[in-house]
Amino acid sequence: MKAFEYATARSLDSAPQLATDNGHYFAGGNDLLGRMKDYITDAKILVNIKSLPGLDQIESGRDHWTLGALVTIAQIENHPGIKKVFPGLHEAAAEVGSQQIRNVATLGGNLAQHSRCWYYRHRDIVCLKKGGDTCYARHGDNRYHSLFTGNTCISPVVSNLGTALAALDATAIVRRSGKEARLSMSELYHRAWENPLAHNSLDPGDLILKVEIPTARGRSAYLQVSDKHAFDWALVSCAVAAQVSGGRLRRPRVALGCISPVPYQVEAANDFLDGKTLDEATVSKAADLVLANAQPLEFNGYKVPLAHALIRRALLKLKG
Amino acid sequence: MKKPEPEVFGAHSRRTFLKSLGTVAVTAAASRAQSVAAELEKVNGEQTVGPGPVPVTLNVNGKPLKLQLEPRVTLLDALRNYSSLTGAKEGCDRAACGACTVLLDNLPIYACQKLAIEAQGHEITTVEGLAKNGRLTKVQEAFVAKDATMCGYCTPGFVMSLTALLQKNPQPSADEVRHACAGNLCRCGTQPRVLEAALQAAGVAAARTTHTEVMDYA
Repeated sequence: MKAFEYATARSLDSAPQLATDNGHYFAGGNDLLGRMKDYITDAKILVNIKSLPGLDQIESGRDHWTLGALVTIAQIENHPGIKKVFPGLHEAAAEVGSQQIRNVATLGGNLAQHSRCWYYRHRDIVCLKKGGDTCYARHGDNRYHSLFTGNTCISPVVSNLGTALAALDATAIVRRSGKEARLSMSELYHRAWENPLAHNSLDPGDLILKVEIPTARGRSAYLQVSDKHAFDWALVSCAVAAQVSGGRLRRPRVALGCISPVPYQVEAANDFLDGKTLDEATVSKAADLVLANAQPLEFNGYKVPLAHALIRRALLKLKG
Repeated sequence: MKKPEPEVFGAHSRRTFLKSLGTVAVTAAASRAQSVAAELEKVNGEQTVGPGPVPVTLNVNGKPLKLQLEPRVTLLDALRNYSSLTGAKEGCDRAACGACTVLLDNLPIYACQKLAIEAQGHEITTVEGLAKNGRLTKVQEAFVAKDATMCGYCTPGFVMSLTALLQKNPQPSADEVRHACAGNLCRCGTQPRVLEAALQAAGVAAARTTHTEVMDYA
């Protein structure tokens, strides 16, 4: 790792000022230090944001819950209220890394982590995402890559929490140019859909402060399949959430992770599911709709039936 | 200063050499500081420090460890190469293998992916800090009794993960042991014995595993 300066920010105003000159915000550090050790990211200064006031709280509410960006994944996993009110978020948190990682990794860092594409992560390769002119995954080993993308880069978003929060229709509250901006999960990642250089829609200096999760969807679930049984990124993940009354889904949402640069959602599938009762035919049709435009590459075609199965299984879990 | 280490390369071991460098600078810095608290306050203020070495005080196994470190130095590097605590091992240096597991305020973390400067003000426990008065802990005794090491490189990490688990959950199930150890890799393949050791340390009836069974497949 190259040498860098270090400062601890004490206020929301000073944090971006301290980070102005090629600075990076630093909280759990799992993703950032890994990139710096591999010389993928360099920083003149790391600004420790762990002492920023008020960002480490889990606040429950009738209409929505608010989770500070500095809440650790372990706190989300172990919070009995979250397990009850947002089981899909609990399940997604429990699948993040290992306990050693969950104990330090934060909600904000999980949402803002960079691509895990092995071409991007290779220190000697300047791929499209690093400002080069070629996506090496397109014609290389793309077994872990996207089925959907709006640009040439096919590295997928791997944030478990981003996928679960997309299904729950959560809103990220981001400090941007001294003001608070509210971004849906779609908006938080949209730039990565169209711009190969982007991992999310955050500008330099932007800081995720908290995430608001509406309680309207009383049932939620998250499933993933990985190469390894534990401590692995998902090959495909699926999060679903809905209100279920009289056996019928209301405001259902399905989101897929690790198959697109954004938590992948298809409004036609959500609309189709609205008002439906859960049975095999219905969930299968919904999975067809979500995957209708999949564009598998040479080595990632297996993700299509995998995603189809996960969508069906996750939706059926909403029956309770 | 502690006694020189056994592994001496020429006149100095790598660690005592580095340590003596650090000690000189830290002694000078410490004499200026009014107290550990004042020193911490200084380090934790909003001013920018580095990239050169700065005073860092770590609380390791109940004792203050005063070092002079660049901000980029990881907690693992500080323990192993800037002091004599080599119990936490360096495997991947990428938060993937678990050999460097230590406890930070009683929670297991990867020391390789934590900056030492950021670990100030926290209680750090390494495998060296477990045995009291020469008496091994139950987890350590169980590792011996069950012969739960092969090459032994991953062992301190497993011991720390299981120590944390038993503090939180004194009678874990086999699945809970597996979940707690998911972030520790053993390339020799001794996980079944680690599982047995954990259950013995917890006083839980041994799971029906064989030594050839891979933990995650049960």
